[in-house]
Amino acid sequence: MSAVFRRGRAEVEANLTPMIDVAFLLIVFFVVVSQIVEIESVQLDLPTPQDPASERPGEEQRAVINVIPAAGGKTSGYRLGSRVFTADTQGIEAMTAELAALYRRNPTLDINLRADRSTHYEWVEPALQAVSNAARLSGRPDVIARINLVVVRED
Amino acid sequence: MTSPMSDPQHLRASSTPPLEVIEPTRVRRRHRRSRARIGLNVTAMIDIVFLLLIYFLAATEFKLGEELYRLDLPQRGLAADPFELPRDPLRVVIATTGPGEGGYTIRIRGPYAQPGSFQELYEFLRRNRGAETAVGGLFEQDHPIIIEPAIATRWEHAIDAFNAAARARYTNITFAPPR
Repeated sequence: MSAVFRRGRAEVEANLTPMIDVAFLLIVFFVVVSQIVEIESVQLDLPTPQDPASERPGEEQRAVINVIPAAGGKTSGYRLGSRVFTADTQGIEAMTAELAALYRRNPTLDINLRADRSTHYEWVEPALQAVSNAARLSGRPDVIARINLVVVRED
Repeated sequence: MTSPMSDPQHLRASSTPPLEVIEPTRVRRRHRRSRARIGLNVTAMIDIVFLLLIYFLAATEFKLGEELYRLDLPQRGLAADPFELPRDPLRVVIATTGPGEGGYTIRIRGPYAQPGSFQELYEFLRRNRGAETAVGGLFEQDHPIIIEPAIATRWEHAIDAFNAAARARYTNITFAPPR
């Protein structure tokens, strides 16, 4: 009788614990990554040059400046990390001060510049100027004002 | 005479109460008690976890196609090399003239053949780069190239000009302030 019993108790069950562990890990990963992606990138139509001589991004520390596009090739402001600066003199100065503070913390910081393909150069250039000025304002002689112009490779 | 074995009454009286009747009930009851464990029904949780997983998988957009051009900006206040001979930079003026792919003009300042497209600009720069030709070209690889986009130049055209110089393997390319 006991043998009959043993056979009856042997139910086939999947051990769900590892699967739930992995599923939770994946969820946490995607939650974190989606927030980072959202902070760093604004929805932009990046330039796509023909036969690009561009490089793949490395692993170096970087800050991202997004030139937020507006109608008529203008911009509604510059976004550095999660902060948005207006496209006037005050906004540019505030962004320069913020960049200088970043350079003081990390003199080898790379700045990525993302601008829409239709944005006019007069609105992109202030961001280049701000990075150049911030390197000088940081007061550190070891700072190299390096900016990375972000494009999309279409293969 | 009837044999005692064939008498059903005898059978009923003499046989001990069958184990099958008593024992299983006892064991089954015990068994039921042992199976009554406190368990968590994880099905609903797994449903939600997978829904969340699919949502974040679909919502997360990786910018895998993004690449970059490295541009070292000029810094005022840096000591210049006193032994370096002054070199006249090559200035490339870009202007957007209209919408669409071909809505731009390129002008190289100086007595050069003017390119009509970014491909021609690239070919001009590559042809005249020193290391490219055995007899020596017009420009060294680190010859300063300044791209001068007009005020209303679209960023894509400024980048196209930069790309032409970078493709021709020049290393000292900068942007001028807008005019």
